[in-house]
Amino acid sequence: MATKEELLQKMSDMVFEMEDEEIADVCEEYIEEGYDALDGILHGLVDGMNRASEMYDQEEYFVTDLLLCSDAMYAGLDVLRPHLPEDASVGEAKKAVIGVVEGDTHDIGKNLVKIMMETAGFEMFDLGRDVPLDSFVEKAKEVDADLIMMSTLMTTTMPGMKEVINKLKEQGIRDSIKVMVGGSPISQKYAEDIGADGYSRNAVEAVEVAKRLCGVE
Amino acid sequence: MTTANERLIKILSGMKADRPACICPGGMMNMVTKALQDVCGVYLPEAHTDARMMADLAKAIYDNECFENYGVPFCMTVEAEALGASCTMGTQYFEPHVTGYAIDTVEDYGKLKPMDLNAGRAKVTLDAIRLLRAETKDVPIIGNIVGPVSVASSVCEPTRYYKQLRQKRELAHEYMQFVTDDLIRFALAMVDAGADVIALSDPSGTGEILGPKFFDEYAVTYINQVVDAVKETGAKTIVHICGQMKSVYDKVAKIHSDAFSFDAVVSLREAKKNLPDKVIMGNVSTFAIEMQEEKTVDKLTRASYANGSDIISPACGLGMGSPLNNVQQVLKTVKTFAE
Repeated sequence: MATKEELLQKMSDMVFEMEDEEIADVCEEYIEEGYDALDGILHGLVDGMNRASEMYDQEEYFVTDLLLCSDAMYAGLDVLRPHLPEDASVGEAKKAVIGVVEGDTHDIGKNLVKIMMETAGFEMFDLGRDVPLDSFVEKAKEVDADLIMMSTLMTTTMPGMKEVINKLKEQGIRDSIKVMVGGSPISQKYAEDIGADGYSRNAVEAVEVAKRLCGVE
Repeated sequence: MTTANERLIKILSGMKADRPACICPGGMMNMVTKALQDVCGVYLPEAHTDARMMADLAKAIYDNECFENYGVPFCMTVEAEALGASCTMGTQYFEPHVTGYAIDTVEDYGKLKPMDLNAGRAKVTLDAIRLLRAETKDVPIIGNIVGPVSVASSVCEPTRYYKQLRQKRELAHEYMQFVTDDLIRFALAMVDAGADVIALSDPSGTGEILGPKFFDEYAVTYINQVVDAVKETGAKTIVHICGQMKSVYDKVAKIHSDAFSFDAVVSLREAKKNLPDKVIMGNVSTFAIEMQEEKTVDKLTRASYANGSDIISPACGLGMGSPLNNVQQVLKTVKTFAE
């Protein structure tokens, strides 16, 4: 019989090593042993994803690696989530609206940010790609979001980010919502120039910036 | 007097010219702006699908002293659309982009039909090159090709595709070969139509996304197939590398193109050091061109030159809202470098 710690380590390792096939079995075993589902998520699956993030920071892992790690993490989550107590997932989670701005459909980076944000406990509302600028504002109002995250890979679509910020001002809600921008042509300077609250170079950093802006731990 | 074409070809052949060339190839390196469309009265999105308009808009870029080249097409979707992806043609402000993938998994690549170069926008692009060849001289004509990884990930759903590059390597290579064979056909047809230079950018196949190992295995391998085929015809080649370079300098050095163009995040001085024998192109910030004043553009152009750029160009595609005077400032400054 495996101890709780052994199984948690195994789950973390499987996420870290991108093994998305056997991880469901290990999670089943963990639940059958009667161990706590939330611990399994936080100290098993998320721990593995955090270790992958560290490797990404050190340029040992790359975007494709993180996508595979997240596949393993989600395979594990599918097993563990139904065993969470009903009120465990709700509560104080900060809400973020995310999307690729109108005119662009490159969404790998955005998807990765979404995954890392979910891993960190944010509730994410994903508008997808090629998102009409008004939709960011409408969705943020609808869900009472704490944060809007916009990305683009194309220089030609960057000005849309500024327009969203202007729209928030017009609606009088700019001060009650944080705005983050990212994507390869974006820089800290650009973010400042258009009046965004935050910028990050990559998905791992995005989580740190988001936490800081939203006052999480 | 050296013509624009002589100068660029000289530089791409590794010889010294009277001054750096100043170009913006087109394709991903967009050089069409709203202001230019207003000046010449030829508009996007119509010019994406009409050879006469495409050629006229390309001419307007040279005639209005923006850059010393003609280049077509003005987007990165011609190949993907011809291979079955659905696209929108965009607006005066937005470039065309992919809205739906042809296949959801690399396993289905057998369902794809090769590009028809006698139909659709592939034909429009080739016809535009023929018009430019017939109606102009002394200005280099650049045909733009989208890189193999970017085309492959525009035709197949990208998240799945990127994973399959690792999980189904044999199949992924078959798919990449299929895409690359078509790109080679398209590039050679461009040369045949009259292109002097083929420029290729692969923004979805960077070292940052793939990591050094897979950048080497996929991007470098298949980019080189296109470059080698074009070089065999005598035409010149430029490869634009997107993103940060640190992890992949030694891999980029393996690409056979006549010149390398870099993103604004790359220090040209460092690039020169890491790629000592290569012709380097770049990298005036497109952000500055769109948002700053002429004097900043002038300063950045001088910095690119001082850092060893052989061909001065924007670092990426120009934003459609870039003011004409800022765009023109790059060439104005480059002209002062004449010896």
